[in-house]
Formats: sequence, C-alpha cells, structure tokens
Amino acid sequence: MLKTTYQYEQTAARLVVEGFPDLSAEQAADAIGILSAWRLQLVGAPELEGTRDHLEALMTAVMPYARHRLSGVGKRFGQDGGFVSIGPHEKGHQLELRSSREGVQPLQLQLDDAELADLVRCLDRLRLDARVKLTWSFPEDLPLRRHEIAERIPLQERWASPVLAGLALTASVLVAWFVPLPPANEPMIPNQTEAISPAEPTTDR
Amino acid sequence: MTEAPTISAPTSGARLSRRGIERLDLLLLTIEALDLNGGEAMVWTSQQMGLQAQFPNRVELWKRRCLNPLRRTTRREQMDPVDAESLICLVCAMAERLYPMLHQLLSSREPEQLTLQRWELLKDRLGDLIEERMNLRREAVNRLLQAETAGPLHHQLVSTLAFCAGPGGIDRLRATLLDPTP
Repeated sequence: MLKTTYQYEQTAARLVVEGFPDLSAEQAADAIGILSAWRLQLVGAPELEGTRDHLEALMTAVMPYARHRLSGVGKRFGQDGGFVSIGPHEKGHQLELRSSREGVQPLQLQLDDAELADLVRCLDRLRLDARVKLTWSFPEDLPLRRHEIAERIPLQERWASPVLAGLALTASVLVAWFVPLPPANEPMIPNQTEAISPAEPTTDR
Repeated sequence: MTEAPTISAPTSGARLSRRGIERLDLLLLTIEALDLNGGEAMVWTSQQMGLQAQFPNRVELWKRRCLNPLRRTTRREQMDPVDAESLICLVCAMAERLYPMLHQLLSSREPEQLTLQRWELLKDRLGDLIEERMNLRREAVNRLLQAETAGPLHHQLVSTLAFCAGPGGIDRLRATLLDPTP
C-alpha cells in the first residue's frame, strides 16, 4: 500500500499530511483515511510534526480562535494541559505547543495576523479536502452568544453606563430626601365676602 | 491576484441584522479602497460566480449596498437573504483575489516604513470613499474617520477580509455577520 502525501501551502505556512486509505471503508487509493504523520512549517519557526491527536488539537484550538477573532473576541483556546493552545499576545497571537514527551518544554510561537491567516487557510484546505477522509471535532462556525460578544467590551466600559445611572438615581433620591419640604399650612379658606366682593380700591388721596 | 474561486450561486441565506449589513458594506468599501478598479472587479467577479441574477450590473449592486443605514442615500428595506448570501460570497471571492495585498498589510515581516505607507494609502482612500458615500452625521461613520479611532477599525476590516479569504471563509464571515448586537 502506497503512502499518500498532500501538501497545503499558503505564503508563510506549509502543511504536509501523510497517510493511507482505509481499505476496510472502501476508500479510493488516493484518499487518506488513516493519518500517519503531518508536518507544519511556519516561516521563522521550527518545523512542527506529530500524530493525528496533535493535528486535531491544533485544528480544535486554531479554528474557533480565528472565528472569535473575526468577531473581535480575543480569548484563549485549547484545553489546559492539552497539546495546543492559542491566545492573543501583544499585537499578535501566541501559539503554545506542548510535547507529549516527558521533560520537553512547551514551544511558544508568536504569530502576526498574516501568519495566522495563512495557517487558518492551510487548515481550511485540509479539512475541506474531499480526498482526506478524516473527521474533525471542532464546533462549526455559528454566531456567537450575546454574552460572548459583550466580553470584548472592557469591563469598565460595560459597567460605566449602569453605574452612572444608579449613582444619578441615588443622588436624586438623597436630594429629595434631605431637602425640606415647605411646611404644610392649613388650606386658606377665602372669606366669603372677600370672595364675592373684590378688595375695595384704596383711596389714599 | 488569483482567479475568482468557483462558488455556486446561493439559493438561500440568512437575514442579516442592521449591524451585519453595515459591516458587509464596509468590507466592500474596504475592497474598493484596496483595489482602485474594485467596483468593476466586483461586477466581473459576481458574473464569474454566476451571480448575474442578483447583480446584473453596477446599479443593482449599488442598490443592495444602499440598504446600509450608514449610507448618505439609504433605502429603508430589509435585505433579501439570498442577496445577503450573494454579497457574502462576493466579499470572500474579492478577499481571495486581494489576499496578497491583505497579507502585505498585516505581515510584521514586511519593511516597517513600507507597511506604514501602505496603511496610510489605504486610510486616505477609505477616508475619501467614506466621506463621499456615508452619512457623516452618524457617530459610527465619524469613528471611521477620526485619527484616534480609525486605525484599529481599519485594521479590523483588513484582518476580517484576510480571515474570510479561502475555502472556509464564507462560513466564518456569515457567522460573524449574524452575531447579535452586544
């Protein structure tokens, strides 16, 4: 059985996958149903390689991260202690890769927007390649929830309006409470004669 | 620039919110700022993609874009879901064509002075287009023109185009445009 190799290249990123067709599933000879190895080359970074689990972890972290970046939400993706995680870092992005071997320090790669876009395009091509019969376990692209969108607004900015409104209301209540009301005099019942006949004009002359 | 991708004409779509339409039109405006012949290229690309039914000419395309409430001359209608999907496909196809340019703008490996000049050029062109077509009494439009707020917004528009180029870009862009208003 011949090993099949496919390469996905985009400016600063090159992803190479190798594998075999799953003959038990009657896959074509040029299909990859069993992934044996993959390599990722990013400009200015050491070559990365690993097993299917590592590639799946990369896909599961990077694709939702890119989706959230489009909505302006910059949160970290990737399981704690997992093989791959990605999050915002200064003006770019930090991809952290942990080896499954003991004693190997995690590798941290700084990517700019252009490099991340290249990586996303390579991963897109891989997952949408009809010849690669692998299933990927990351959520499909859906609109974010309202609270996720709200998180991109800084806490101070988010709470500024309600806090100001609350303070204004409290101040109004306090002012209304402490300012003395005019004494409640008995209602003046106008004299019947005064009411009927207006005051006589003064004759000071 | 690469050829227009082969994307079949959409037959259904989702109804975009007001904010979604604003963003979609701003992305098209950014494309026009990046490509001097962007208006013609959009019509040509839409024909390549089989979108003649939606956008047979520039006027029809302009009429759809006038549903953006930030426009100087805006139309008070809801955007047809198929038209919205067609515009999303068009933005992604144009982003694919302009990807090398988008990459240059976003890359930190390009010479810094050259990158600054490119951003300055984009800022000027986009500013001119916004002043020409958008309602300058709207605060959202002014934010795109003010020196202190325009930079991050322009960067967001360019990076959105970069991330929605390529085979999976349409789904990402559609999902983003359907985000709820915070």
